[in-house]
Amino acid sequence: MVKESPKKKAEGPEYIRIKFNAPRPYNWSTGKYLGKVYAEAKENKKLVGNRCPQCKEIWLPPTPVCPKCKVDMGWDWVELPQTGAVYQYTYLVYPLWDPHYGEKWANPYPSAIILLDNGVYYRHWLEEKDKEKLKAGTRVQAVWKEDYEERGQGVQDILYFRTLEE
Amino acid sequence: MPNSVAIVGIGQTYHTGRRNDVSQPEMVAEAVRAALADAQMSIKDIEAVFFGNMETFEGIYLPDHGMSAEVGAFGKPGFKVNTGGTTGASVVAEGFYMISAGLYDLALVIGFEKQDCGDTTAAITAAAVPTWAKGAATGAIGEFAKQALAYLETSGAKEEHAAMVRLKADRNACRNPYAHLRLGLKSIDEVLQSPYLVWPLRLLDFCPQSCGACALILASEQRAKKITKKPVWIADLEVVHQEPFRAGIFGDPTGKETYTQHVACERLYKRNGITNPRKDIDMAEIYEPSNWEELNLYEHLHFCDKNEGWKLIEKGVTEIEGEFPVNPSGGVTATNPIGATPVIRVAEAALQIRGDAGEHQITKDINTAMATALGGPNWTVLFLLKRSM
Repeated sequence: MVKESPKKKAEGPEYIRIKFNAPRPYNWSTGKYLGKVYAEAKENKKLVGNRCPQCKEIWLPPTPVCPKCKVDMGWDWVELPQTGAVYQYTYLVYPLWDPHYGEKWANPYPSAIILLDNGVYYRHWLEEKDKEKLKAGTRVQAVWKEDYEERGQGVQDILYFRTLEE
Repeated sequence: MPNSVAIVGIGQTYHTGRRNDVSQPEMVAEAVRAALADAQMSIKDIEAVFFGNMETFEGIYLPDHGMSAEVGAFGKPGFKVNTGGTTGASVVAEGFYMISAGLYDLALVIGFEKQDCGDTTAAITAAAVPTWAKGAATGAIGEFAKQALAYLETSGAKEEHAAMVRLKADRNACRNPYAHLRLGLKSIDEVLQSPYLVWPLRLLDFCPQSCGACALILASEQRAKKITKKPVWIADLEVVHQEPFRAGIFGDPTGKETYTQHVACERLYKRNGITNPRKDIDMAEIYEPSNWEELNLYEHLHFCDKNEGWKLIEKGVTEIEGEFPVNPSGGVTATNPIGATPVIRVAEAALQIRGDAGEHQITKDINTAMATALGGPNWTVLFLLKRSM
């Protein structure tokens, strides 16, 4: 006599859950223009953008074609100031998964829009984590990774922007 | 002059957080069947199928290759569209272009998303340029936090006003049987006590991750009149594109001032002789990823003057019973199956014109309605719908 198999609680459709640990073999190209930003950051700890021959707007990230004028940008590079003022900031509370780099994290450094001293807007992190001390208008300066071997990550070679005591 | 195009069939699934009773194609088929039933036709009548979702959100690249049978596309012309948050609107636009160009008389357009299968915020984060924007990993939430903060700091609005928008959305969603979040929120405090995701944006301020699909059947003028007594005409549409990482250069680095919405509105209103949108249009279904963005959009879409958006919610102007109802369906903060979300905006606006919205039907007569979408690389898509051409 065949015994009846125990009844499953849920018959029918189920989620199929997949867990994988294999590395994702991506090899992103910076290209010529962003490659220049990477090279200047690694070799010289400089932040650079490129300038439109027509409207003179400085673009960061750099671009081969001016979005406004639709003209070839050529190869006119401008070194950007590494000081500026916090224009706006937010901070992450809820940890999020970064699929490109395979990390789930809540970046402890507040994210900020920084108005560089030449009028270019730039998005980066602030060293100051104390929410009481965060405020728009604060003067800040870029802090670079000092170890040459650690640089080579483009604008990530800047660790964060540090509050300038004035 | 392009040929006139009408919506002659509307179908959507109920929207919810988890649908493990169906696969993605099975879920999409539910909306297709509903739209066909609404138009009282068979899939055999459909000449072309256009559809779209945010592919890879469910970890599937080219999700369309697994659903040609379920959506009735097998052997028919059509293709998938993906323009980020506006995908659903681009799909409707695609159907409109094809029919107005005279290529087809009947087209099915579908948007869908089954977010219980994947990680949406991770997928949106993967849209960031990895060689430039590493660590900006906040998906859409961080972007809308910046907008919220900019609005909070410059408009004169208080957090309470955003909470009032969330309460309106919830009240409306509770009247819409298809809506995802129907929370029965009672007080402003309830919203203000919800935890932060990215400061100052709270969990209840932001749209949920929903599963759902929405399908429309579009027809040429000649065919539409034979199919239904209540066609809803797509009187006009406008599409504008911008790249977000350089948004600062085009205006405001916080993303609060979006160039595309200004341009799109200016063009759409001018072509259609709209000088006072709140008088010339009867209602709107707008794409508000957050309650703050709804306030911001009131201004961008010229429903009011600059820095007056919060006054509209304070005065009840945009309630279902108000002078100019906005999102009687409950909107995006209640229901967000991303690829379907903009299709739902068009569908809900069309249902209001037809008078078929059920419990969340606006009581006043709706002759002209607006449906909007935003997202992706700051695309803006606007639709103007009318009861008669």
